[in-house]
Amino acid sequence: MQLVRNWFSRISLERIQLELMNTAYGSGHASLSRLDPRCLLLWYLFFAIVPWFLSSFVVLAGLFLLTAATTVLSRVTPFVIVVLCLGLIGQVGWLFVLSLFFGGDVGSALPLLKLTLKLSVVSLASITVFSGMDPEKISDGLLALGLPASISFSLSYGYRILPVLFEEFRNVLLSYRLRGQSPERPGFLYWRMAAYYLKLLTMAFFPLMLATAKRSRTTVEALETRGFSYGMRNPASKKLKLSHLRVAARDIAFLSGTAAYVALLFWIG
Amino acid sequence: MASHSRAITLTSSQKMMIFVLSMSLYGLSNMFTELIPEFRIGPVELSVEYFAFIPLTLCMLFSPLHAAVGAALGEVIFGELMLGQFGGLGELEKFLTFSFAMYVAGRMVRDPLNRVQVGVAAIAGVIIHQACSSLIDIGKVWVGVDDFDTIPGLAESVVVVEGFSFLNDVLFSGILFALLPTAYLVPRLYGKIEPLLGIRPRGKAAYEAGGVSAKIVATGILLAVVSFGAAALSKTDWNFAEWDSGFEDRFGTGAIWISIAAAALVALVVLAFFRMRKNRGPQAEAPGESPYV
Repeated sequence: MQLVRNWFSRISLERIQLELMNTAYGSGHASLSRLDPRCLLLWYLFFAIVPWFLSSFVVLAGLFLLTAATTVLSRVTPFVIVVLCLGLIGQVGWLFVLSLFFGGDVGSALPLLKLTLKLSVVSLASITVFSGMDPEKISDGLLALGLPASISFSLSYGYRILPVLFEEFRNVLLSYRLRGQSPERPGFLYWRMAAYYLKLLTMAFFPLMLATAKRSRTTVEALETRGFSYGMRNPASKKLKLSHLRVAARDIAFLSGTAAYVALLFWIG
Repeated sequence: MASHSRAITLTSSQKMMIFVLSMSLYGLSNMFTELIPEFRIGPVELSVEYFAFIPLTLCMLFSPLHAAVGAALGEVIFGELMLGQFGGLGELEKFLTFSFAMYVAGRMVRDPLNRVQVGVAAIAGVIIHQACSSLIDIGKVWVGVDDFDTIPGLAESVVVVEGFSFLNDVLFSGILFALLPTAYLVPRLYGKIEPLLGIRPRGKAAYEAGGVSAKIVATGILLAVVSFGAAALSKTDWNFAEWDSGFEDRFGTGAIWISIAAAALVALVVLAFFRMRKNRGPQAEAPGESPYV
Protein backbone atom coordinates (compact mmCIF):
# COMPACT_ATOMS: atom_id res chain seq x y z
CA MET A 1 0.00 0.00 0.00
CA GLN A 2 3.02 2.25 0.53
CA LEU A 3 3.66 2.04 -3.18
CA VAL A 4 0.11 3.09 -3.97
CA ARG A 5 0.38 6.02 -1.59
CA ASN A 6 3.61 7.18 -3.17
CA TRP A 7 2.04 6.93 -6.55
CA PHE A 8 -0.98 8.93 -5.48
CA SER A 9 1.17 11.67 -3.98
CA ARG A 10 2.89 12.00 -7.35
CA ILE A 11 -0.29 12.44 -9.32
CA SER A 12 -1.94 15.11 -7.26
CA LEU A 13 -4.62 17.16 -8.94
CA GLU A 14 -2.32 20.21 -9.04
CA ARG A 15 0.22 18.33 -11.02
CA ILE A 16 -2.33 17.02 -13.50
CA GLN A 17 -3.64 20.54 -13.93
CA LEU A 18 -0.15 21.87 -14.60
CA GLU A 19 0.42 19.18 -17.19
CA LEU A 20 -2.87 19.96 -18.85
CA MET A 21 -1.97 23.65 -19.01
CA ASN A 22 1.26 22.62 -20.64
CA THR A 23 -0.63 20.51 -23.17
CA ALA A 24 -2.99 23.34 -24.01
CA TYR A 25 -0.60 26.27 -24.12
CA GLY A 26 2.94 25.03 -24.16
CA SER A 27 3.14 23.39 -27.53
CA GLY A 28 4.08 26.38 -29.67
CA HIS A 29 7.80 25.85 -29.26
CA ALA A 30 7.98 22.27 -30.48
CA SER A 31 9.69 21.90 -33.81
CA LEU A 32 6.87 19.87 -35.33
CA SER A 33 4.28 22.48 -34.47
CA ARG A 34 5.68 24.81 -37.12
CA LEU A 35 4.50 22.48 -39.86
CA ASP A 36 1.38 23.12 -41.82
CA PRO A 37 -1.57 21.52 -39.95
CA ARG A 38 -3.13 20.16 -43.13
CA CYS A 39 0.03 18.26 -43.97
CA LEU A 40 0.28 16.91 -40.44
CA LEU A 41 -3.34 15.79 -40.52
CA LEU A 42 -2.77 13.95 -43.79
CA TRP A 43 0.33 12.43 -42.28
CA TYR A 44 -1.77 11.33 -39.31
CA LEU A 45 -4.42 9.84 -41.56
CA PHE A 46 -1.80 7.54 -43.03
CA PHE A 47 -0.60 6.39 -39.61
CA ALA A 48 -4.12 5.95 -38.32
CA ILE A 49 -5.20 3.63 -41.11
CA VAL A 50 -2.24 1.78 -42.58
CA PRO A 51 -0.88 -0.01 -39.47
CA TRP A 52 -4.11 -1.99 -39.18
CA PHE A 53 -3.47 -3.63 -42.55
CA LEU A 54 0.13 -4.61 -41.88
CA SER A 55 1.42 -7.84 -40.49
CA SER A 56 5.17 -7.57 -40.93
CA PHE A 57 7.06 -7.13 -37.69
CA VAL A 58 9.88 -5.15 -39.27
CA VAL A 59 7.56 -2.62 -40.87
CA LEU A 60 5.52 -2.20 -37.72
CA ALA A 61 8.61 -1.78 -35.57
CA GLY A 62 9.98 0.77 -38.04
CA LEU A 63 6.74 2.73 -37.98
CA PHE A 64 6.79 2.55 -34.20
CA LEU A 65 10.29 4.02 -34.10
CA LEU A 66 9.26 6.84 -36.43
CA THR A 67 6.17 7.78 -34.45
CA ALA A 68 8.12 7.52 -31.19
CA ALA A 69 10.67 9.94 -32.63
CA THR A 70 8.00 12.40 -33.72
CA THR A 71 6.38 12.13 -30.30
CA VAL A 72 9.67 13.09 -28.69
CA LEU A 73 10.03 15.95 -31.17
CA SER A 74 6.60 17.28 -30.35
CA ARG A 75 7.53 17.52 -26.64
CA VAL A 76 4.49 15.83 -25.20
CA THR A 77 4.06 15.98 -21.45
CA PRO A 78 5.02 12.80 -19.57
CA PHE A 79 1.51 12.62 -18.16
CA VAL A 80 0.07 11.81 -21.58
CA ILE A 81 2.67 9.10 -22.12
CA VAL A 82 1.89 7.47 -18.77
CA VAL A 83 -1.80 7.41 -19.61
CA LEU A 84 -1.01 5.86 -22.98
CA CYS A 85 1.09 3.10 -21.44
CA LEU A 86 -1.51 2.29 -18.81
CA GLY A 87 -4.16 2.10 -21.50
CA LEU A 88 -2.11 -0.23 -23.68
CA ILE A 89 -1.27 -2.56 -20.82
CA GLY A 90 -4.88 -2.66 -19.73
CA GLN A 91 -6.16 -3.32 -23.21
CA VAL A 92 -3.80 -6.02 -24.32
CA GLY A 93 -2.51 -7.61 -21.12
CA TRP A 94 -5.93 -8.68 -20.01
CA LEU A 95 -6.77 -10.41 -23.28
CA PHE A 96 -3.52 -12.33 -23.00
CA VAL A 97 -4.28 -13.52 -19.47
CA LEU A 98 -7.74 -14.64 -20.47
CA SER A 99 -6.62 -16.53 -23.54
CA LEU A 100 -4.04 -18.32 -21.34
CA PHE A 101 -6.86 -19.20 -18.99
CA PHE A 102 -8.91 -20.75 -21.78
CA GLY A 103 -6.10 -22.95 -22.98
CA GLY A 104 -3.98 -20.76 -25.18
CA ASP A 105 -0.23 -20.76 -24.64
CA VAL A 106 2.64 -18.33 -24.59
CA GLY A 107 2.63 -18.49 -28.37
CA SER A 108 -0.40 -16.25 -28.39
CA ALA A 109 1.74 -13.49 -26.89
CA LEU A 110 3.45 -12.88 -30.23
CA PRO A 111 0.34 -11.80 -32.15
CA LEU A 112 -0.65 -9.79 -29.11
CA LEU A 113 2.70 -8.01 -29.23
CA LYS A 114 1.91 -7.18 -32.83
CA LEU A 115 -1.47 -5.82 -31.79
CA THR A 116 0.27 -3.70 -29.14
CA LEU A 117 2.65 -2.35 -31.77
CA LYS A 118 -0.22 -1.40 -34.03
CA LEU A 119 -2.14 0.26 -31.23
CA SER A 120 0.91 2.20 -30.12
CA VAL A 121 1.74 3.39 -33.64
CA VAL A 122 -1.78 4.75 -34.02
CA SER A 123 -1.78 6.31 -30.55
CA LEU A 124 1.66 7.86 -30.85
CA ALA A 125 0.74 9.39 -34.19
CA SER A 126 -2.37 10.90 -32.68
CA ILE A 127 -0.36 12.20 -29.71
CA THR A 128 2.16 13.77 -32.07
CA VAL A 129 -0.49 15.59 -34.00
CA PHE A 130 -3.10 16.44 -31.41
CA SER A 131 -1.00 17.05 -28.31
CA GLY A 132 2.02 18.50 -30.02
CA MET A 133 0.32 21.13 -32.09
CA ASP A 134 -1.28 24.38 -31.17
CA PRO A 135 -5.06 23.77 -30.76
CA GLU A 136 -5.88 26.69 -33.03
CA LYS A 137 -3.70 25.26 -35.76
CA ILE A 138 -5.35 21.85 -35.57
CA SER A 139 -8.73 23.48 -35.63
CA ASP A 140 -7.82 25.57 -38.70
CA GLY A 141 -6.41 22.49 -40.37
CA LEU A 142 -9.60 20.54 -39.79
CA LEU A 143 -11.65 23.45 -41.06
CA ALA A 144 -9.49 23.62 -44.17
CA LEU A 145 -10.03 19.92 -44.78
CA GLY A 146 -13.77 20.59 -44.74
CA LEU A 147 -14.99 19.56 -41.31
CA PRO A 148 -17.99 21.51 -39.94
CA ALA A 149 -17.07 24.72 -38.15
CA SER A 150 -18.77 23.65 -34.92
CA ILE A 151 -16.50 20.60 -34.64
CA SER A 152 -13.28 22.45 -35.33
CA PHE A 153 -14.34 25.18 -32.93
CA SER A 154 -15.15 22.62 -30.25
CA LEU A 155 -11.70 21.14 -30.55
CA SER A 156 -9.81 24.36 -29.91
CA TYR A 157 -12.36 25.43 -27.31
CA GLY A 158 -11.92 22.13 -25.51
CA TYR A 159 -8.18 22.55 -25.24
CA ARG A 160 -8.49 26.14 -24.05
CA ILE A 161 -11.31 25.66 -21.58
CA LEU A 162 -9.98 22.51 -19.97
CA PRO A 163 -7.58 24.16 -17.47
CA VAL A 164 -10.31 26.61 -16.44
CA LEU A 165 -12.87 23.87 -15.99
CA PHE A 166 -10.35 21.79 -14.14
CA GLU A 167 -9.56 24.62 -11.73
CA GLU A 168 -13.24 25.13 -11.06
CA PHE A 169 -13.80 21.43 -10.55
CA ARG A 170 -10.92 21.29 -8.11
CA ASN A 171 -12.32 24.16 -6.09
CA VAL A 172 -15.70 22.48 -5.82
CA LEU A 173 -14.05 19.23 -4.84
CA LEU A 174 -11.93 20.93 -2.18
CA SER A 175 -14.90 22.71 -0.69
CA TYR A 176 -16.78 19.42 -0.48
CA ARG A 177 -13.81 17.87 1.24
CA LEU A 178 -13.55 20.74 3.70
CA ARG A 179 -17.17 20.46 4.65
CA GLY A 180 -17.47 16.71 4.63
CA GLN A 181 -15.86 14.06 6.76
CA SER A 182 -13.67 11.44 5.22
CA PRO A 183 -14.05 7.88 6.50
CA GLU A 184 -12.16 7.16 9.71
CA ARG A 185 -10.87 3.78 8.65
CA PRO A 186 -9.82 3.10 5.08
CA GLY A 187 -11.54 -0.28 5.09
CA PHE A 188 -10.50 -3.47 3.33
CA LEU A 189 -8.41 -2.59 0.24
CA TYR A 190 -9.25 1.07 0.85
CA TRP A 191 -12.79 0.51 -0.37
CA ARG A 192 -14.25 3.08 2.00
CA MET A 193 -11.85 5.70 0.68
CA ALA A 194 -12.60 4.73 -2.91
CA ALA A 195 -16.35 4.94 -2.34
CA TYR A 196 -15.97 8.29 -0.57
CA TYR A 197 -13.91 9.82 -3.36
CA LEU A 198 -16.13 8.43 -6.10
CA LYS A 199 -19.14 9.96 -4.39
CA LEU A 200 -17.37 13.30 -4.09
CA LEU A 201 -16.28 13.13 -7.72
CA THR A 202 -19.87 12.57 -8.80
CA MET A 203 -21.32 15.22 -6.55
CA ALA A 204 -18.78 17.82 -7.60
CA PHE A 205 -20.34 17.78 -11.05
CA PHE A 206 -23.71 18.95 -9.76
CA PRO A 207 -22.75 22.60 -9.11
CA LEU A 208 -20.40 22.47 -12.06
CA MET A 209 -23.36 21.86 -14.35
CA LEU A 210 -24.87 25.23 -13.47
CA ALA A 211 -21.55 27.03 -13.68
CA THR A 212 -20.74 25.51 -17.06
CA ALA A 213 -24.19 26.38 -18.34
CA LYS A 214 -23.47 30.04 -17.58
CA ARG A 215 -20.06 29.80 -19.17
CA SER A 216 -21.32 28.19 -22.35
CA ARG A 217 -23.89 30.94 -22.71
CA THR A 218 -21.16 33.54 -22.40
CA THR A 219 -19.07 31.66 -24.93
CA VAL A 220 -21.80 31.43 -27.51
CA GLU A 221 -22.76 35.07 -27.02
CA ALA A 222 -19.15 36.07 -27.56
CA LEU A 223 -19.01 33.88 -30.66
CA GLU A 224 -22.15 35.37 -32.10
CA THR A 225 -20.92 38.89 -31.43
CA ARG A 226 -18.05 38.06 -33.73
CA GLY A 227 -20.43 36.62 -36.28
CA PHE A 228 -19.35 33.02 -35.88
CA SER A 229 -22.30 31.12 -37.30
CA TYR A 230 -22.89 33.33 -40.30
CA GLY A 231 -19.23 34.04 -40.96
CA MET A 232 -18.38 30.37 -41.12
CA ARG A 233 -21.08 29.75 -43.67
CA ASN A 234 -19.74 32.45 -45.90
CA PRO A 235 -17.03 31.03 -48.18
CA ALA A 236 -15.24 34.36 -48.46
CA SER A 237 -14.81 34.79 -44.71
CA LYS A 238 -13.73 31.19 -44.32
CA LYS A 239 -11.11 31.73 -46.98
CA LEU A 240 -9.88 34.83 -45.19
CA LYS A 241 -9.64 32.94 -41.91
CA LEU A 242 -7.67 30.14 -43.48
CA SER A 243 -5.47 32.33 -45.67
CA HIS A 244 -2.53 32.05 -43.27
CA LEU A 245 -2.14 28.35 -44.02
CA ARG A 246 0.71 27.80 -46.42
CA VAL A 247 2.48 24.67 -47.53
CA ALA A 248 6.16 25.52 -47.19
CA ALA A 249 9.27 23.66 -48.25
CA ARG A 250 9.70 22.08 -44.83
CA ASP A 251 6.23 20.55 -45.05
CA ILE A 252 7.06 18.94 -48.37
CA ALA A 253 10.39 17.78 -46.95
CA PHE A 254 8.67 16.29 -43.93
CA LEU A 255 6.07 14.43 -45.97
CA SER A 256 8.49 13.15 -48.59
CA GLY A 257 10.98 12.16 -45.90
CA THR A 258 8.32 10.10 -44.20
CA ALA A 259 7.26 8.58 -47.52
CA ALA A 260 10.84 7.61 -48.34
CA TYR A 261 11.34 6.08 -44.91
CA VAL A 262 8.13 4.09 -45.15
CA ALA A 263 8.97 2.88 -48.64
CA LEU A 264 12.37 1.76 -47.37
CA LEU A 265 10.67 -0.13 -44.56
CA PHE A 266 8.39 -1.93 -46.96
CA TRP A 267 11.31 -2.78 -49.17
CA ILE A 268 13.16 -4.32 -46.22
CA GLY A 269 10.18 -6.00 -44.55
CA MET B 1 -44.32 27.37 -18.06
CA ALA B 2 -45.37 25.76 -21.27
CA SER B 3 -47.11 22.58 -20.38
CA HIS B 4 -48.98 22.13 -23.63
CA SER B 5 -47.42 19.51 -25.81
CA ARG B 6 -46.35 21.67 -28.70
CA ALA B 7 -42.86 21.00 -30.00
CA ILE B 8 -40.32 23.55 -28.83
CA THR B 9 -38.11 25.19 -31.41
CA LEU B 10 -34.71 26.53 -30.47
CA THR B 11 -32.62 29.22 -32.10
CA SER B 12 -29.28 28.19 -33.49
CA SER B 13 -27.43 29.95 -30.65
CA GLN B 14 -29.38 28.00 -28.08
CA LYS B 15 -28.54 24.78 -29.87
CA MET B 16 -24.89 25.75 -29.86
CA MET B 17 -25.06 26.53 -26.13
CA ILE B 18 -26.49 23.08 -25.37
CA PHE B 19 -23.85 21.55 -27.60
CA VAL B 20 -20.96 23.38 -25.91
CA LEU B 21 -22.31 22.73 -22.41
CA SER B 22 -22.71 19.03 -23.00
CA MET B 23 -19.36 18.73 -24.74
CA SER B 24 -17.27 20.43 -22.08
CA LEU B 25 -18.95 18.84 -19.07
CA TYR B 26 -19.01 15.30 -20.34
CA GLY B 27 -15.54 15.72 -21.78
CA LEU B 28 -14.15 16.73 -18.39
CA SER B 29 -15.85 13.81 -16.67
CA ASN B 30 -14.56 11.47 -19.34
CA MET B 31 -11.04 12.57 -18.62
CA PHE B 32 -11.47 11.47 -15.02
CA THR B 33 -13.09 8.17 -15.81
CA GLU B 34 -10.25 7.38 -18.20
CA LEU B 35 -7.82 7.94 -15.35
CA ILE B 36 -9.61 6.13 -12.52
CA PRO B 37 -7.97 2.74 -12.11
CA GLU B 38 -10.08 -0.37 -12.41
CA PHE B 39 -10.62 -2.75 -9.59
CA ARG B 40 -10.52 -6.38 -10.60
CA ILE B 41 -11.39 -9.60 -8.84
CA GLY B 42 -10.57 -12.31 -11.32
CA PRO B 43 -12.52 -11.64 -14.48
CA VAL B 44 -15.02 -9.43 -12.66
CA GLU B 45 -13.93 -5.86 -12.88
CA LEU B 46 -15.48 -2.97 -11.07
CA SER B 47 -14.62 -0.03 -13.23
CA VAL B 48 -16.20 3.33 -13.58
CA GLU B 49 -17.04 3.18 -17.24
CA TYR B 50 -18.44 6.66 -17.64
CA PHE B 51 -20.38 9.34 -15.85
CA ALA B 52 -23.44 8.76 -17.98
CA PHE B 53 -25.57 10.93 -15.75
CA ILE B 54 -24.17 14.10 -17.32
CA PRO B 55 -25.33 13.52 -20.92
CA LEU B 56 -28.48 11.78 -19.66
CA THR B 57 -29.48 14.74 -17.51
CA LEU B 58 -28.78 17.21 -20.29
CA CYS B 59 -30.63 15.10 -22.86
CA MET B 60 -33.68 14.98 -20.62
CA LEU B 61 -33.72 18.68 -19.83
CA PHE B 62 -32.70 20.09 -23.19
CA SER B 63 -32.90 19.16 -26.82
CA PRO B 64 -31.71 15.52 -26.83
CA LEU B 65 -30.06 15.59 -30.23
CA HIS B 66 -27.67 18.43 -29.50
CA ALA B 67 -26.87 17.28 -26.00
CA ALA B 68 -26.19 13.72 -27.22
CA VAL B 69 -23.97 14.69 -30.14
CA GLY B 70 -22.16 17.25 -27.99
CA ALA B 71 -21.41 14.66 -25.33
CA ALA B 72 -20.12 12.16 -27.87
CA LEU B 73 -17.85 14.80 -29.37
CA GLY B 74 -16.68 15.79 -25.90
CA GLU B 75 -15.65 12.23 -25.28
CA VAL B 76 -13.63 12.16 -28.49
CA ILE B 77 -11.91 15.48 -27.80
CA PHE B 78 -11.17 15.27 -24.07
CA GLY B 79 -11.04 11.55 -23.46
CA GLU B 80 -9.34 10.45 -26.68
CA LEU B 81 -7.52 13.18 -28.52
CA MET B 82 -6.08 14.98 -25.51
CA LEU B 83 -4.97 11.79 -23.81
CA GLY B 84 -3.60 10.38 -27.04
CA GLN B 85 -5.99 7.45 -27.17
CA PHE B 86 -7.67 8.29 -30.41
CA GLY B 87 -8.13 5.04 -32.28
CA GLY B 88 -9.00 6.48 -35.66
CA LEU B 89 -11.81 4.84 -37.61
CA GLY B 90 -13.03 2.58 -34.82
CA GLU B 91 -14.10 5.62 -32.80
CA LEU B 92 -16.86 6.30 -35.29
CA GLU B 93 -18.84 3.33 -34.02
CA LYS B 94 -18.47 4.47 -30.40
CA PHE B 95 -19.57 7.96 -31.35
CA LEU B 96 -22.69 6.70 -33.12
CA THR B 97 -23.82 4.16 -30.52
CA PHE B 98 -23.28 6.58 -27.65
CA SER B 99 -25.12 9.50 -29.18
CA PHE B 100 -27.92 7.21 -30.34
CA ALA B 101 -28.43 5.73 -26.86
CA MET B 102 -28.37 9.09 -25.14
CA TYR B 103 -30.77 10.52 -27.69
CA VAL B 104 -33.24 7.69 -27.18
CA ALA B 105 -33.04 8.06 -23.41
CA GLY B 106 -33.71 11.77 -23.70
CA ARG B 107 -36.70 11.20 -25.96
CA MET B 108 -38.17 8.65 -23.52
CA VAL B 109 -38.78 11.25 -20.85
CA ARG B 110 -42.11 13.06 -21.13
CA ASP B 111 -42.19 14.63 -17.69
CA PRO B 112 -38.83 15.60 -16.17
CA LEU B 113 -40.37 15.86 -12.70
CA ASN B 114 -41.38 12.20 -12.68
CA ARG B 115 -38.51 10.39 -10.99
CA VAL B 116 -39.62 6.92 -12.03
CA GLN B 117 -39.77 7.88 -15.68
CA VAL B 118 -36.39 9.58 -15.48
CA GLY B 119 -34.82 6.57 -13.78
CA VAL B 120 -36.24 4.09 -16.28
CA ALA B 121 -35.05 6.21 -19.19
CA ALA B 122 -31.59 6.57 -17.65
CA ILE B 123 -31.02 2.86 -17.17
CA ALA B 124 -32.55 2.16 -20.58
CA GLY B 125 -30.04 4.52 -22.17
CA VAL B 126 -27.14 2.70 -20.53
CA ILE B 127 -28.50 -0.72 -21.49
CA ILE B 128 -29.00 0.33 -25.12
CA HIS B 129 -25.49 1.71 -25.35
CA GLN B 130 -23.79 -1.22 -23.66
CA ALA B 131 -25.80 -3.84 -25.56
CA CYS B 132 -24.99 -2.20 -28.89
CA SER B 133 -21.29 -1.89 -28.16
CA SER B 134 -20.95 -5.43 -26.74
CA LEU B 135 -22.71 -6.93 -29.75
CA ILE B 136 -20.54 -4.92 -32.12
CA ASP B 137 -17.38 -6.00 -30.30
CA ILE B 138 -18.34 -9.67 -30.40
CA GLY B 139 -19.39 -9.28 -34.03
CA LYS B 140 -16.05 -7.75 -34.95
CA VAL B 141 -14.20 -10.81 -33.78
CA TRP B 142 -16.68 -13.24 -35.37
CA VAL B 143 -16.49 -11.44 -38.69
CA GLY B 144 -12.80 -10.77 -38.56
CA VAL B 145 -11.67 -14.29 -37.80
CA ASP B 146 -12.24 -16.99 -40.36
CA ASP B 147 -11.03 -20.02 -38.47
CA PHE B 148 -12.61 -19.19 -35.17
CA ASP B 149 -12.37 -22.72 -33.80
CA THR B 150 -8.71 -23.35 -34.53
CA ILE B 151 -7.59 -20.77 -32.01
CA PRO B 152 -7.96 -22.23 -28.55
CA GLY B 153 -9.94 -20.14 -26.12
CA LEU B 154 -10.59 -17.18 -28.37
CA ALA B 155 -14.34 -17.50 -28.76
CA GLU B 156 -14.94 -18.11 -25.09
CA SER B 157 -12.63 -15.37 -23.92
CA VAL B 158 -14.22 -12.79 -26.19
CA VAL B 159 -17.75 -13.66 -25.10
CA VAL B 160 -16.73 -13.79 -21.46
CA VAL B 161 -14.88 -10.47 -21.61
CA GLU B 162 -17.78 -8.78 -23.33
CA GLY B 163 -20.42 -10.36 -21.12
CA PHE B 164 -18.68 -9.36 -17.94
CA SER B 165 -18.04 -5.86 -19.12
CA PHE B 166 -21.69 -5.55 -20.12
CA LEU B 167 -22.84 -6.71 -16.68
CA ASN B 168 -20.33 -4.50 -14.92
CA ASP B 169 -21.25 -1.46 -16.92
CA VAL B 170 -24.97 -1.90 -16.46
CA LEU B 171 -25.03 -3.04 -12.84
CA PHE B 172 -22.17 -1.04 -11.39
CA SER B 173 -21.65 2.05 -13.54
CA GLY B 174 -25.23 2.03 -14.76
CA ILE B 175 -26.83 2.15 -11.34
CA LEU B 176 -24.27 4.17 -9.43
CA PHE B 177 -23.31 6.68 -12.10
CA ALA B 178 -26.38 6.84 -14.31
CA LEU B 179 -29.58 5.83 -12.56
CA LEU B 180 -29.14 7.36 -9.10
CA PRO B 181 -27.56 10.72 -10.00
CA THR B 182 -29.90 11.27 -12.96
CA ALA B 183 -33.04 10.53 -10.94
CA TYR B 184 -31.74 12.91 -8.28
CA LEU B 185 -30.58 15.68 -10.57
CA VAL B 186 -33.18 16.00 -13.30
CA PRO B 187 -36.13 17.06 -11.11
CA ARG B 188 -33.84 19.37 -9.12
CA LEU B 189 -32.18 21.09 -12.04
CA TYR B 190 -35.44 21.38 -13.92
CA GLY B 191 -36.47 25.02 -14.11
CA LYS B 192 -33.12 26.19 -12.73
CA ILE B 193 -30.58 25.37 -15.41
CA GLU B 194 -32.69 26.33 -18.42
CA PRO B 195 -32.87 30.07 -17.65
CA LEU B 196 -29.06 30.17 -17.53
CA LEU B 197 -29.09 29.35 -21.23
CA GLY B 198 -32.01 31.62 -21.92
CA ILE B 199 -34.30 28.68 -22.65
CA ARG B 200 -37.80 28.17 -21.33
CA PRO B 201 -38.20 24.98 -19.23
CA ARG B 202 -39.58 22.29 -21.46
CA GLY B 203 -42.65 21.36 -19.38
CA LYS B 204 -44.26 18.29 -20.84
CA ALA B 205 -43.60 19.43 -24.35
CA ALA B 206 -41.19 17.52 -26.47
CA TYR B 207 -38.34 19.18 -28.26
CA GLU B 208 -38.60 19.13 -31.97
CA ALA B 209 -36.77 16.16 -33.27
CA GLY B 210 -33.92 18.44 -34.21
CA GLY B 211 -34.12 17.85 -37.91
CA VAL B 212 -34.14 14.08 -37.57
CA SER B 213 -35.74 13.02 -40.80
CA ALA B 214 -35.85 9.73 -42.63
CA LYS B 215 -32.79 10.88 -44.58
CA ILE B 216 -30.70 11.38 -41.45
CA VAL B 217 -31.80 8.06 -39.99
CA ALA B 218 -30.88 6.32 -43.24
CA THR B 219 -27.50 8.06 -43.30
CA GLY B 220 -26.98 7.02 -39.70
CA ILE B 221 -27.69 3.38 -40.45
CA LEU B 222 -25.42 3.49 -43.48
CA LEU B 223 -22.67 5.09 -41.41
CA ALA B 224 -23.16 2.47 -38.73
CA VAL B 225 -22.72 -0.31 -41.27
CA VAL B 226 -19.65 1.40 -42.71
CA SER B 227 -18.15 1.94 -39.28
CA PHE B 228 -18.88 -1.64 -38.36
CA GLY B 229 -17.13 -2.74 -41.51
CA ALA B 230 -14.22 -0.44 -40.79
CA ALA B 231 -13.97 -1.63 -37.24
CA ALA B 232 -14.19 -5.26 -38.28
CA LEU B 233 -11.48 -4.69 -40.86
CA SER B 234 -9.28 -2.89 -38.39
CA LYS B 235 -9.68 -5.60 -35.81
CA THR B 236 -8.85 -8.45 -38.14
CA ASP B 237 -5.62 -8.84 -36.30
CA TRP B 238 -7.46 -10.19 -33.29
CA ASN B 239 -7.30 -13.45 -35.08
CA PHE B 240 -4.24 -14.63 -33.30
CA ALA B 241 -3.45 -16.61 -36.41
CA GLU B 242 -2.73 -14.53 -39.47
CA TRP B 243 -5.70 -13.47 -41.45
CA ASP B 244 -3.74 -11.99 -44.29
CA SER B 245 -1.03 -14.63 -44.55
CA GLY B 246 -2.82 -16.44 -47.36
CA PHE B 247 -3.03 -13.15 -49.13
CA GLU B 248 0.67 -12.68 -48.88
CA ASP B 249 1.43 -16.17 -50.20
CA ARG B 250 -0.52 -15.54 -53.34
CA PHE B 251 0.70 -12.07 -54.13
CA GLY B 252 4.07 -12.07 -52.42
CA THR B 253 5.12 -8.78 -50.98
CA GLY B 254 2.80 -7.07 -53.41
CA ALA B 255 0.08 -7.60 -50.83
CA ILE B 256 1.56 -4.81 -48.77
CA TRP B 257 1.29 -2.43 -51.68
CA ILE B 258 -2.28 -3.50 -52.24
CA SER B 259 -3.13 -2.72 -48.66
CA ILE B 260 -1.37 0.62 -48.89
CA ALA B 261 -3.26 1.41 -52.05
CA ALA B 262 -6.48 0.52 -50.28
CA ALA B 263 -5.60 2.82 -47.39
CA ALA B 264 -4.67 5.65 -49.74
CA LEU B 265 -7.93 5.14 -51.59
CA VAL B 266 -9.88 5.38 -48.34
CA ALA B 267 -8.02 8.57 -47.45
CA LEU B 268 -8.69 10.06 -50.87
CA VAL B 269 -12.38 9.18 -50.75
CA VAL B 270 -12.71 10.76 -47.32
CA LEU B 271 -10.93 13.90 -48.49
CA ALA B 272 -12.96 14.10 -51.68
CA PHE B 273 -16.13 13.68 -49.66
CA PHE B 274 -15.24 16.54 -47.36
CA ARG B 275 -14.17 18.79 -50.20
CA MET B 276 -17.36 18.06 -52.06
CA ARG B 277 -19.43 18.85 -49.02
CA LYS B 278 -17.45 22.00 -48.42
CA ASN B 279 -17.95 23.26 -51.95
CA ARG B 280 -21.56 22.35 -52.03
CA GLY B 281 -22.27 23.33 -48.43
CA PRO B 282 -23.38 26.98 -48.59
CA GLN B 283 -25.60 26.54 -51.62
CA ALA B 284 -27.23 23.31 -50.52
CA GLU B 285 -28.31 24.59 -47.13
CA ALA B 286 -31.62 26.38 -46.97
CA PRO B 287 -31.08 30.02 -46.03
CA GLY B 288 -32.57 30.01 -42.55
CA GLU B 289 -31.20 26.66 -41.53
CA SER B 290 -28.99 26.26 -38.51
CA PRO B 291 -25.29 26.10 -39.21
CA TYR B 292 -24.71 23.76 -36.31
CA VAL B 293 -24.54 20.01 -36.08
